[in-house]
Amino acid sequence: MHHLLPVLVAVPLLGATLLVTAGRHLPRAAAETVGCLFAAGTAALAIALLLNSSPPMTDWVGGWTPEGGESVGIVLVGDGPGLGMAALASLLTVAALAYSWHYFDEPPRRHAGSFPALMLLFQGGMCGFAIAGDLFDAFVFFELMSVVAYALTGHRVEEPKAVQGALSFGVLNSLGAYAMLMGIGLLYARTGELAMTKIGEGLDRHGSPDALTLAAFALVLTGLLVKAAAVPFHFWLPDAHAVAPTPVCMLLSGVMVELGAYGVWRVYRTVFSGPGGIPASDLEHALVVLGALTGLVGAVMCWYQRHIKRLLAYSTVAHMGLFLIGIGALSPEADDGVALYILSHAGVKAALFACTGALLDRYGSVDEHALHGRARELRGVAVLYVAGALSLAGLPPFGIGLGKAVLEEAVGGPLTVLFVAVSAVTAGAVLRVAARVFFGLGPRPDDESSYETTGKKEEPETRSRLSRVPDTMTAVPAVLLVLSLAMGAVPGFAAAVGHAVSGRAAPAPHWTLIGVLLGLTSTLLALGLATLAATRPKLLGDGAWTAPLRRLQSGHIGDYVAWMLAGTTLLAALALPTILNG
Amino acid sequence: MTRRVRLLVMAVGGTGLAALLVAACFDLPRFGGDQHPYGDRVVRASLARHTANTIASVNFDQRAFDTLGEMSILFASVLGTVVLLRQTRDEHRAAPEPEQVALPVRRYALLVLPVAVLTGLYVIAHGQLSPGGGFQGGVVVATALHLLYLGADYRALERIRPVGSYEVADALAASAYLVLGLAGLVAGTAFLADFLPYGTFNTLSSGGTVPLLNAAIGMEVACAVVVLLANFLDQAVEIEKEGET
Repeated sequence: MHHLLPVLVAVPLLGATLLVTAGRHLPRAAAETVGCLFAAGTAALAIALLLNSSPPMTDWVGGWTPEGGESVGIVLVGDGPGLGMAALASLLTVAALAYSWHYFDEPPRRHAGSFPALMLLFQGGMCGFAIAGDLFDAFVFFELMSVVAYALTGHRVEEPKAVQGALSFGVLNSLGAYAMLMGIGLLYARTGELAMTKIGEGLDRHGSPDALTLAAFALVLTGLLVKAAAVPFHFWLPDAHAVAPTPVCMLLSGVMVELGAYGVWRVYRTVFSGPGGIPASDLEHALVVLGALTGLVGAVMCWYQRHIKRLLAYSTVAHMGLFLIGIGALSPEADDGVALYILSHAGVKAALFACTGALLDRYGSVDEHALHGRARELRGVAVLYVAGALSLAGLPPFGIGLGKAVLEEAVGGPLTVLFVAVSAVTAGAVLRVAARVFFGLGPRPDDESSYETTGKKEEPETRSRLSRVPDTMTAVPAVLLVLSLAMGAVPGFAAAVGHAVSGRAAPAPHWTLIGVLLGLTSTLLALGLATLAATRPKLLGDGAWTAPLRRLQSGHIGDYVAWMLAGTTLLAALALPTILNG
Repeated sequence: MTRRVRLLVMAVGGTGLAALLVAACFDLPRFGGDQHPYGDRVVRASLARHTANTIASVNFDQRAFDTLGEMSILFASVLGTVVLLRQTRDEHRAAPEPEQVALPVRRYALLVLPVAVLTGLYVIAHGQLSPGGGFQGGVVVATALHLLYLGADYRALERIRPVGSYEVADALAASAYLVLGLAGLVAGTAFLADFLPYGTFNTLSSGGTVPLLNAAIGMEVACAVVVLLANFLDQAVEIEKEGET
């Protein structure tokens, strides 16, 4: 079975080459069918491998199995978390392709297969990164998914802002990748190895950590945290999500950003967790500080957006903060919680983006203020939107609620307040949008906004404005929401996730009374905030105190790069005590 | 942010990073040591598989999966470029004007063109034996074709460069690499396994699948660079915004 691990990468790439070869002669429907088939085939393979991932598989590509403990080949790791991420990425690719089916704006002339081909390449890159057990190999597939993501983000080149968003995405993530490559170089110089476990052993053999270990740690984590959109590396994300086509947003927010957090988890566990690496307390310190900062900044920024896609993007930033805190806890219970949280967050966030896409294609706007009361007729979409918002708040029995409850219990203490606050504020913002746009609640907000980007005068992603929302565009988010409901409500599922992630090290994740109460608390808070904001907008103030924070999102790439440098320094400073004491 | 604040943040971050890197450099192994654990292992492995050029053995055998990723990055960049530099609704295509080229330039370009193409093909074909290989040779072949742009004009270049066919050839070469990898799996060992006979050391057919994978990369890179340059040149030479003449 382990021989099939690299096939997980080969199948989508083969599909992409086929689509480019035949794309000139294929009608559009055929190209899209081929794309869906390859994506679905990969998803099926990923799930089949996942079901066989206990005990974890390893595969040496090209048959370079180690002799005498040494190998020159590349190792792939098929364990629960890795194959789980690959399966998630693949399923979400299928969902995004199904969503864009037939309606997505016309492809370039005689290139019918180019959009599904890019999606398949994206899927291949994400699968390759998820199963990489070799640090350099992980970097290569990390780059593959980045390159495809830049192209997909800038897909609508007719609009200057699409080019601008894709450019800042490209510059920031490429710089992050260079930092990561430099870190890999330092680790290779020290150990002469590229396989992650081997690097870890090499560091331990060398003795206690020194400046080189610290620099490698900070640089590798910079690359991963840029992808994971941790503050202060996060600035590219809202700019990119606001301009990327909806099916691409579903993948970016649902799984690509989370892969950055997954990379932090994988790299720390295998490379830096030994006595020659960075002590657990320092990692926890660094991730809790960055995670809390990310959660707070993301939640505040999310609340003050009126461009719905930007609002959802900041909600992703906020939730990434919570994932990072969970990863920093370094306990099997927290790992289970984060895994469940990521899985159901992917479904919910993709569904919310899908519904927003329907608004864009129907009304040519994603502006909360301009759309006030206009979408009353879209009852189905309204139901989906509200359900998505409530599950984002952690309403039991949705999967997000369960994941968050398990995580809150594992992390405990004052951080629980942060978890409840972040989910209440982000979900409250989404509920406020739903209340205004779908139900026309409260007074019509005035059109003036000094800072925020409006979402007016956007081009629909379909050939022309839709007169009715097609069934595929509502069926996909509905299925995604049902799945994320099932993740929390079907008792066996959470146990299976727990088993795949941490084996028998932690009890199977389950609902507790406290967990249910915390979930209900954040849901009620979100409902309260949303009602207050929609009906009595003056009571909550205009948020003038957040103006300096909001001005940081300037759109100036130079600003973003400066913050990234500062972030790397901060990361190193947070882990510095080790070196000084060692 | 104002320029001042930006420079301040940049200075703080940059200084911290610089200090970190300098400190890390002092912990690097000393230059010119005699311990090369990875190098020793790699050379042993490449000799065992009759591949004279160790770099080719690393690229197309020991770490062929990385090369698959790198090739896919190039393939994705080309596809991304084709999509992003498409002729949009507000642009139209203007036929390029014929150009006069100075006679010495024309003579030189036409003389060098076949030599350069041949050199590129040689570099690809001997990838498993001597320095070079598919990546390098592919770039040489692709740029050699563009001597026609210098020696004649854009229309002459377009005649030998049907971009559509190069796009298809690019995809075919990429799929050839993948199919060879899957063949390794079917032939019984593993994905991208070197399943062919290793042949006689230091001959063109040595190294098993290495020359085949190398050739696939050569073709992929050559076609990819042609398509990339074609798209950028098109943007510069032919495509104009609505309203411009």
